[in-house]
Amino acid sequence: MSVGGLAVGLEVAPADRGKRLSPWVYALVAVAALVVLSVVRLLSGATDLTSAGTVQAALTAAVPLAMAGLAGLWAERAGVVNIGLEGMMVLGTFGAGYAGYQWGPWAGVVFGLLLGVVGGLLHAVATVTFGVDHIISGVAINLLAPGAALFLSKLYFSDAPGGGQKQSPRISDAPKVTIPGLSSLLADIEAKRWFFVSDLAGVLRGLTTEVSLLTLLAVLVIVGTAWVLWRTPFGLRLRSCGESPAAAESLGVNVYKYKYLALVASGAFAGLGGAFLAVSSGQYRDGQTGGRGFIGLAAMIFGNWRPGGLATGAGLFGYTDAMALRGSSAVHALLLLLGIALVVVAVIQYRSGHQLLSGVAAALGVLFGYWYFSTDEVPPELVGAAPYVVTLLVLGLAAQRLRPPRHAGEPYRRGQGV
Amino acid sequence: MPHQADTPAPAVELSGITKRFPGVIANSDVNITVRAGTVHALVGENGAGKSTLMKILYGMQPPDEGTIAVDGHPVSFGSPADAIRAGIGMVHQHFMLADNLTVLENVVLGSEPRKGLGLDFAAARAKIRQISDAYGLGVRPDRLVDDLGVGERQRVEILKVLYRGARTLILDEPTAVLVPQEVDELFGNLRDLKAEGLTILFISHKLDEVLSVADDITVMRRGTTVASVSPSGVTARKLAELMVGSELPVPELRESTVTDQAVLDVRGLTVVGADGRTVLDDVSFTIHAGEVLGIAGVEGNGQAELVEALMGIRVPTAGKITLADRDITRASTRHRREAGMGYVPEDRHRQGVLLEATLWENRVLGHQTRPPNARGPLLDRRGAKADTRRIVEEYDVRTPGIEVNAAALSGGNQQKLIVGREMSGDPVVLIASHPTRGVDVGAQAAIWEHIRRARADRLAVLLISADLDELIGMSDTLAVILRGRLVADHDPATVTPEQLGSAMTGAGRED
Repeated sequence: MSVGGLAVGLEVAPADRGKRLSPWVYALVAVAALVVLSVVRLLSGATDLTSAGTVQAALTAAVPLAMAGLAGLWAERAGVVNIGLEGMMVLGTFGAGYAGYQWGPWAGVVFGLLLGVVGGLLHAVATVTFGVDHIISGVAINLLAPGAALFLSKLYFSDAPGGGQKQSPRISDAPKVTIPGLSSLLADIEAKRWFFVSDLAGVLRGLTTEVSLLTLLAVLVIVGTAWVLWRTPFGLRLRSCGESPAAAESLGVNVYKYKYLALVASGAFAGLGGAFLAVSSGQYRDGQTGGRGFIGLAAMIFGNWRPGGLATGAGLFGYTDAMALRGSSAVHALLLLLGIALVVVAVIQYRSGHQLLSGVAAALGVLFGYWYFSTDEVPPELVGAAPYVVTLLVLGLAAQRLRPPRHAGEPYRRGQGV
Repeated sequence: MPHQADTPAPAVELSGITKRFPGVIANSDVNITVRAGTVHALVGENGAGKSTLMKILYGMQPPDEGTIAVDGHPVSFGSPADAIRAGIGMVHQHFMLADNLTVLENVVLGSEPRKGLGLDFAAARAKIRQISDAYGLGVRPDRLVDDLGVGERQRVEILKVLYRGARTLILDEPTAVLVPQEVDELFGNLRDLKAEGLTILFISHKLDEVLSVADDITVMRRGTTVASVSPSGVTARKLAELMVGSELPVPELRESTVTDQAVLDVRGLTVVGADGRTVLDDVSFTIHAGEVLGIAGVEGNGQAELVEALMGIRVPTAGKITLADRDITRASTRHRREAGMGYVPEDRHRQGVLLEATLWENRVLGHQTRPPNARGPLLDRRGAKADTRRIVEEYDVRTPGIEVNAAALSGGNQQKLIVGREMSGDPVVLIASHPTRGVDVGAQAAIWEHIRRARADRLAVLLISADLDELIGMSDTLAVILRGRLVADHDPATVTPEQLGSAMTGAGRED
């Protein structure tokens, strides 16, 4: 998922508006990306590039980002910009910590989701009912939520066994599943270090071994969102509120109601993302979200406000996150990978006539290549920054032809559009 | 109304409708009877109360007095949903379509066919095809609305209304955005609809069109119905006089004032849009002192880009613009304005006025560096206010004062203020984009008269308009713009609107 994601995302950009690529093209691009990864692995000797461990770590890192992106998707599709995702995720982490250590991980997930809904409702009351600017309301939530979470954690966790002022007691992890038999077979193949085949086996093993039920839930939610928003009357009405609230109103759609519902869903998914974060890392900690709400928004924009796209984006960011966790040799190999990706972007942009962008991408690509070949490792200070650097580069250079909801972020008052 | 005993009950009957807003009576004692299966036109000037009346009929506003009957039964509508249920559908002048959704999604929104929990796309597609074929609308359900032209969007709007089972269609100024060929197509569609027994209520102030398509005509003036006539017994001129209540202005220039002194010279102007498309392609023309150059074209063929490139809002990719022998291709908008360019923008709310600023502050805009608005680096408030009073006086801007916000003025009065401002400071060139769009007949005549007078004072004018009569009547020279190119020149003395219309769509390109 994450591996293919790198190249899929880059390929989507130049596609003509409205023209859908066939699944075969996506598959082909994924294979090509894997080949590139394989080559880089052989060149650099960084086996972590395609190891099952990396893929597992990438999945774990990607799920909260995908949930944040999904939360942003629901809100913006209904025409509300939700920059308060970060705050809603913080509420989710606290909720998961509070309920999780007492009643188990699933209670934590449910409680985190509910606290996220509270955040979403707050945003809805401010932006929909009172017409507050969406950004201001979102920033307010981002300021409010961490404070509230810290206050509550001091109140409830300081005296709890194993807890502290800034962290909850341990939460047991959600159950994990493995496809029996397949996993060990793939492990054998992966150990052979064959070109491409072992890489494929590594990726597949990562996707089929010790997969948390939370991850499966996230996949279900993403697929479910795609179905609900694009295949049901409810979804059409919700999207119409983001595309043209005046048209929706003139056809009898209660725009306020759908915006409220969308923000409840948005808060729920953001809370879910926070809860996943807390449960998968075993406890609530202050400052645990670390800007993931914003990266989730970036993943959504990268994914062109579509579930598949945002999953790809989240996978991409999760992958670089995982590489950063794997240490500096992996990040060093990432330099070469990024260099190659940028050159690909340069070629694509050149072909679609964006000379300047193409030039910038090519120059950066060459620079990253030079950096890779002239050094042996990346300064440790930069390792942690890798995901953010990739975020910036990808957003700046790849995604040029986006189609955001037409009226996202605009205030809407009933009866004014007609 | 001709109304025999055996004819069915009228599709819609409005009697004694009165609607008051604070300080204004929008409708007073309006009576209209629309026979079933006919095209009924409602004509009147802007501000005559047509739109308010239609909003009442469509359930968007309740009337203060009076009754509405549909098919003989009295009804009262609390919302458009009630009106839709009673079989009344409205095609708004400004399309109510979501660009990023497909035609199908736009049509079914709000009354979707369901299959289980999901939307039944197959059924929706079939029903849209069936309606489209039955009335010859030629609408394809799976296209993105963003990719459709204006005429197609209008047919989608009509289909949207038919999909909801409307038997009476209200069309609010449907031809305002169409070129003549599209108007003919629309009228063909309307005749088809009528043949199927549907009733159409058609709002317009284009009288030739009304006469060609309507079966009955009701004229509104100052909030009330003043006459019901049949098209066979009335001429366009008579209708117009009923509308205005007096004699009419005509767009025409008297004697030629064209001199041989070139004022604005444009050579090879090319603009490439952000998406790499060439939106303006090698455009060249010269306007002389005292000359009005009219540019005809379907909207979106490069007019906006041309104007923006001339005003320095958009950077041209190639070409040269010379103003009175000075190369201004790279000059900033402010320098161009100071050099004597006036600009009446096509969208006055986007570029012309600040709605939330007072009239005199709006007067200063664009002239903020020059007397009477500025003294050195400071604004001259007293001078600006005095000059605003002059504009209000000379251009007959109806306003309670110059300290009110521009938003308090009607569109026509805002436009007169803009024209007055742009004519101030002795401009040598006026770029006028749709200078009389959305203004009433009186204001239109005033604006024409001001342009005529300035032309006699050797002003050079670039006139862009969708009103072909205005273009033909007001221009000394006419050019047609098509896909970013100037494709044909016409002599305004001989050309007809039909010829212009076909040149605008590229149909007459063999000449």
